[in-house]
Amino acid sequence: MKKLILIIICAITVSLHAQERIILLNEGMWQADNGRMTYFEDGQVVSNQWFRDKNGYKLGDTPNDIIQINDSLIAITINWSNIIQFITPEGKAVAATEDIPNNRRLCTDGKYVYVTSYGHECLTTSGYKYFDKGFVAKIDLASFKTVAACEVGYEPEGIALYDGHLFVANTGGYAAQEYDHDLETTVSIVNASTMELEKNVNTGIPNLYGEMSQSGRYLCINSPGDYYEIPACGLILDCEKALNNQECFVVFNYPVTYNTTTLDGKFLAVGSCFSYITSEYEFSCLTIDPQTMIETGGESGLSLTLPGTLKSDFSEMMQPYGIYVNPYTGYIYGTDAGSFEGAGYLYQWTPEGQLIGKHKVYINPGHFLALPPDGHFDNVENIIRSMFDNGHSVYDFSGRPITNPEASNGIMPLRLYIKDGKKMILNQ
Amino acid sequence: MLLCMPVWHVMAQDVGTRYIPSSLDSIQHLQEVIIISEEPSHTIATSQTLHGNELQALSTTTVADALKYFAGVQIKDYGGLGGLKTINVRSLGAQHVGVYVDGIRITNAQNGTVDLGKFSLSTMESVSLYNANKLDNCQSASEYASGATVYLRTRRPIKDSLDIQLRRASFSTWMAKANAQFERNGWSGFIDGEWTDSRGDYPFRYHSEFEDTVGRRTNSDIRYGRIEGALFKDGFSSHIYYYDSERGCPGGIVRRLSNKYVNVGREWDRDFFIQASYQKQFLEYHHVKLNAKYANEYLRYCTDYPENQNTARVDNHYRQQDGYGAISYAFMPWPWISFSASYDIRYSQLEADLKRFDDVVRIDQKQVMAVRADWHGLQVAGSLLHQHYKDQTFANVGAADPLDRWTPAVSTAYTIKGLTFRAWYKTIFRAPTLNDLYYTQVGNRNLKPEYTKQLNLGLEYHLDTRHWNASLQADIYQNKIENRIVCLPLKGTYTWSMMNYGYTFCRGLNATIQGRYHTDDWHFSLLNSITWQRDVDRTDPEDEDMYDKPICYSPTLSTGITAICGWRTLQFTTSYLYVGERMWSKADPEDILEPYHNIDMKLTYTRNIKKTSLGICLEVCDVLDEQYEHLPRYPMPGRNYKLTLSFGI
Repeated sequence: MKKLILIIICAITVSLHAQERIILLNEGMWQADNGRMTYFEDGQVVSNQWFRDKNGYKLGDTPNDIIQINDSLIAITINWSNIIQFITPEGKAVAATEDIPNNRRLCTDGKYVYVTSYGHECLTTSGYKYFDKGFVAKIDLASFKTVAACEVGYEPEGIALYDGHLFVANTGGYAAQEYDHDLETTVSIVNASTMELEKNVNTGIPNLYGEMSQSGRYLCINSPGDYYEIPACGLILDCEKALNNQECFVVFNYPVTYNTTTLDGKFLAVGSCFSYITSEYEFSCLTIDPQTMIETGGESGLSLTLPGTLKSDFSEMMQPYGIYVNPYTGYIYGTDAGSFEGAGYLYQWTPEGQLIGKHKVYINPGHFLALPPDGHFDNVENIIRSMFDNGHSVYDFSGRPITNPEASNGIMPLRLYIKDGKKMILNQ
Repeated sequence: MLLCMPVWHVMAQDVGTRYIPSSLDSIQHLQEVIIISEEPSHTIATSQTLHGNELQALSTTTVADALKYFAGVQIKDYGGLGGLKTINVRSLGAQHVGVYVDGIRITNAQNGTVDLGKFSLSTMESVSLYNANKLDNCQSASEYASGATVYLRTRRPIKDSLDIQLRRASFSTWMAKANAQFERNGWSGFIDGEWTDSRGDYPFRYHSEFEDTVGRRTNSDIRYGRIEGALFKDGFSSHIYYYDSERGCPGGIVRRLSNKYVNVGREWDRDFFIQASYQKQFLEYHHVKLNAKYANEYLRYCTDYPENQNTARVDNHYRQQDGYGAISYAFMPWPWISFSASYDIRYSQLEADLKRFDDVVRIDQKQVMAVRADWHGLQVAGSLLHQHYKDQTFANVGAADPLDRWTPAVSTAYTIKGLTFRAWYKTIFRAPTLNDLYYTQVGNRNLKPEYTKQLNLGLEYHLDTRHWNASLQADIYQNKIENRIVCLPLKGTYTWSMMNYGYTFCRGLNATIQGRYHTDDWHFSLLNSITWQRDVDRTDPEDEDMYDKPICYSPTLSTGITAICGWRTLQFTTSYLYVGERMWSKADPEDILEPYHNIDMKLTYTRNIKKTSLGICLEVCDVLDEQYEHLPRYPMPGRNYKLTLSFGI
């Protein structure tokens, strides 16, 4: 009997933790101040106005990216409001900064948040900085102040952190209107600690615009082309090779406008190739194994499929607007922006790709964040080589720099440290 | 009184009743009656007109201000003196509204809309709105080519005069205006000039459960100069116009942490046109009209400013030229019937320094055959319009295929004892504009025209006595719009493109009730209009969220009431406008623009001393200081004042 009660209590305890917890950003319409946050939990939309419910005021105009930083902090770029908003996983606003105008996308190492910006002006702790091109800013989470900024290419979009380096996809997207530059073809590599531009990897592919997913050392980058003669395509970039000055990317003839990383390190992508000359587009769905792609030079590793019914479900959507895999559970999400004037829809599939729900959200739902089911942000990454061999700082969970891991005492689980923004288990 | 009277009679004539000269004034006004007598009986077409005194009695700065009092009109206004003002009639869309100055259309091949803020009422005799189109004996083909038509009729001077006006208004607004007119040996004409400068920094407030935003509009200034002249003799009329402006283009009010970022976008416009029209009736049966026009427009839009650190740095110049010629001929074998035919040709050229854009030339030809009959109270009119559009461009997207279409319209009416019953049907399309087809990274040269089909049943009644003049008009209508031209993002990309998407269905009722009473010293007018309509999306029956749901920005109910009370040269006008709730997105029932009530008041006094006159006018607009919007997050100015002094010889 006691055993049964224990089992029931255990079952209740487990069920108290919601498994599927998704924050979804709805961009709203430009200059209508109607960006919204949807909160979705275990098969139900809890609210399509979650930020306002929790804070009593609106989110702002055109939220563009959302990431989790640690157990208690989430960052959101709100593009046309020129705000980077910090909230708790419960949705409560804790801080906001407007030092980085025209902010686009985010990444973090747990201590700093890095933001790309199309703007040319940034207020840092050492005064205003002005740039001809776009820039990456570094926000210190201890103060929510911008401590450094580094110029990259024009209109930088996707950003990822690998081995202490920021990889920034430049678009040059304003080249259609601005006469002083053309579409960019480079990925800028910036040293995250010194915030200095180390180099630009020229991919030869213009306009590296769209979602940029990361799977360990690999990045999945989209290029919509120039919308005229140069067709859209996709790239897989190997960050490790890029740092070692090796041939580091492969290009394939399918765009990856919306992409995400699966639990087994692959990329799922949905994209479309469009030309204003023909006004015709080709729609494609891809599964990419980046390691095979890089190793075979693009010969294999790409299949025109998605799990289960995803492909047919996406092709029936009026306006696909995002794809995402919950990194904790493997459940898959997609959004349809519909006819743009009305509400978009959130689709949910099982990890095998079986559609299990379609939920009405708000205008232009495009950016996802899954919250950890047990409330603990678990971004643990194993590393093969020794943690201390490349000179990067390692911190314990109180944020103290660690030089000797054995000296760390047991406030936090033993052998778990932070390095380059990732929780890491020391393999000895 | 003598000054007042012509207005009354012109009015009575235009609304379609016979003018019975009163014994005292008949000789005095004979000349006016002759001019007006060329106007057809309008009861067959659904129309509304504001004339001379009533037009000037409204608190209006631009043509857009006057049109908002008409039934069936929705106005779109980005706010402030410089904000773009366009109108939409019976939910057809702004590009289906043709605006005509003395019968010649103002066109904009680039975007198809006319900013009504650019036209002053001071030179206008009347502003009329025709649903479908006017039905006259000898009209040019382009007069048949829009879903709704706004006619601006220039005033023909009847004496020599000089008027000067100076105005000081809220938000640092200054205006000076001068009008000189003459009448000699059958020739008449005027020169009218205006200069306005306004900072436009009006305060606004967004107050709700979730925000309390208070601020002042920035970058909302405008400076413009306008000079125009006209010359008339019998069947000849001509008009020359030049407008030069610089304005700020403010954006939507969005969440910001401070006022740190100002998005500065500025626009310069230089518009010029010259037009002439000549019409002659000969051998009793034949009527010929010739129209010609040349227009040249320049627009520059710039966001390349040091304070704009966070937006694209745009500096684009657009130049448009437009040459137009029309010949119309009507044959009237008997007084009760006329047959007419017309040919129009328009040459439009657009140059822009956009990337991936090349000059576009459009040749647009129209022909119409029309018949009109009025036999013992039974009126019938029918027309068949042919339009042909051909574009030429070296842009690498290539030119659109030529467009060639026929469209019909039929109208009928029966009048008995002042009461008219009417029914009409019209199919018309709007051709894709040059922006729709070729604009860099948006245009789609495969667009099809956007069609409208309008069906209308109405009645109209007039009562005229020596002191009283009353009219009632009510029309029910049904509109369908097919292949709407809209800009949408494309499947699976972030790219936007113009597309034909959507079908809307609109049913409604427009009614106007007008009453006027006048004695020797007093005159009173009460003008009411009401619009009730249901405008729904019929695009995709599968789409539960959209299908049969109301179209954005379309109110179900709107109404306007204007009361004018005059004693000799003292006049007081109150206007009330109500616009019901409008949705601005279909995504959430919360996305609505609140209904608003707008009350304007105007008090005018003129003192005549010998041959000179001195006038003073005080206007209070939005007396209730209601904060309202036509577009979400583009606040309109609240209560504001205007004081105008005028001097005339």
